[in-house]
Amino acid sequence: MKDDPGAVASGEGTTYYGLPVIKEPVWTWEVPAYFYVGGAAGAAATIGAVLQVLDGVDSERLVRRCRDIAAIGTLAGSGLLVSDLGRPERFLNMLRVFKPRSPLNAGSWILATAGGLSAGSSLLGRSHGFGRRLGALAGLGAGAIGLPLSGYTAVLLAGTAVPVWKGSRRSLPLLFVASATGAACSLLEMGDFDERELTAVRRLGTVAQLSELALAKAVEKESASVAGAGRPYEEGLSGTLWKASTACTVASLAVDTITGKSRSGRVTAALVGTVGSIALRYSVWLAGRASARDPRATFDSQKKPDE
Amino acid sequence: MATGFFTDTTVCIGCKACEVACKQWNQLPDDGFSFTGMSYDNTGQLGASTWRHVAFIERPVPLAGQTTGLGDLSWLMMSDVCKHCVKAGCLDACPTGSIVRTEFDSVFVQPDICNGCGYCVSACPFGVIDRRADDGRAWKCTLCYDRQREGMTPACAQACPTESIMFGELDDLKERARARVEQLHDMGMGEAYLYGADANEQPGTQGLNAFFLLVDEPEAYNLPPEPSAPDNHVGESWRSLAVGALTLLAAATVAVLSSKGSG
Repeated sequence: MKDDPGAVASGEGTTYYGLPVIKEPVWTWEVPAYFYVGGAAGAAATIGAVLQVLDGVDSERLVRRCRDIAAIGTLAGSGLLVSDLGRPERFLNMLRVFKPRSPLNAGSWILATAGGLSAGSSLLGRSHGFGRRLGALAGLGAGAIGLPLSGYTAVLLAGTAVPVWKGSRRSLPLLFVASATGAACSLLEMGDFDERELTAVRRLGTVAQLSELALAKAVEKESASVAGAGRPYEEGLSGTLWKASTACTVASLAVDTITGKSRSGRVTAALVGTVGSIALRYSVWLAGRASARDPRATFDSQKKPDE
Repeated sequence: MATGFFTDTTVCIGCKACEVACKQWNQLPDDGFSFTGMSYDNTGQLGASTWRHVAFIERPVPLAGQTTGLGDLSWLMMSDVCKHCVKAGCLDACPTGSIVRTEFDSVFVQPDICNGCGYCVSACPFGVIDRRADDGRAWKCTLCYDRQREGMTPACAQACPTESIMFGELDDLKERARARVEQLHDMGMGEAYLYGADANEQPGTQGLNAFFLLVDEPEAYNLPPEPSAPDNHVGESWRSLAVGALTLLAAATVAVLSSKGSG
């Protein structure tokens, strides 16, 4: 072959000289980076809206930080996605149709809406009077659209023919939402807020990270239900990153529990958690690339009945 | 009018005239002049600039009418192409509406719309469509949309010297294909069967507008035995996302409310 695909068929059975069946995903490094920033932005928007509704003025600084994270995350995420395109100058074509059947089209509308509302809430929240009230309204809207934004990228992956992604179609969206929530809480914990605000964020972050650990196991199990499909989480760079992500999440939880009362302890835990969250996205991306090269896993994953 | 290809692999002689005719008509760039070292197949697979691909299968299984005289070795050839699925993964996945279904029921990528997002590449259960690195857009067989508009036969079918590639109206093709299977069975080639001829046989794609007559298991030809468009299973993921999102909302609410007493 012009470039050796390095295909290794898992399991027994006929293949065509061990060559891959499906094409390897063409997405470059920007896409998993977007999975992280987009997810964190979505969760932050939702957390901000919840605080806004339940607390009113009490946690104004925290709400503002949530909105800022959402605004920066959606803006940076859009930039990453545009640069991944084969024809970046045509990025607006994503919005030339409304086609929710395509997870990528649905996601583009979600991201565009969340981006506009987050930017609006972040900027207008700094003004006074009517503008501020409008900003609050935008904050609520961003919180609502932040819910799907936190994890739709997992649906995007599951909606492909790639064995390991398709194989974890039920658990992966849950893992992405949990990890995005943990990521947003880590970013918030780096800030200097009052005791009560931090308590809320740390509690949510702990629950999210514990869920992330459990759901990572669920993803492993679900993708392994097709013989060979779960292999990329056990071996190669994707496997290493997968284990590193778990280790970081565990370490983040431990550091936060032991030293979370101090600012430096909190920030350390948040940084380690952030690394774990990013490693998770890169692991899932690389797992998909390795999985697409495995012809037997591809055959068998399609054989599994689609109920 | 629904048109398509019926590729009868039993009469393919592996001349690759279809590959050449396709390249020439569609002015496709070369993919390098490489040597696989595994068989007569130096093309390897379909791709962004390879819209017909002749597979050479050497199988240590004696298949009626396909043996070479050298022991039990069977030598199979198949000209592979985009299947133009009735339920096409690429078409469902395309976020820009660049991929459309034409008046001939074929699946066509509009090059002036495609922005090269690459989602169709991962959505094709057959590994047909791909993004061209130097061009940035996704490309695949058009079923010679331009030729068909002028009432012409697609280039590969026109060039095929043995009528292994047949082009025509789908109803007519299916009738001929079924008759051909019967004929082969009568001749003692009991292994012959149709791949993807209709929705009953291949529910995951609702049938293929470019279907095949094969004599060995699909995997031998690098065809998935039960291909399925990703859209068939993505609903489960949306439901999971809804559960996850509502859990996030509930957890955030509880976290904020429970912190009210502290600090």
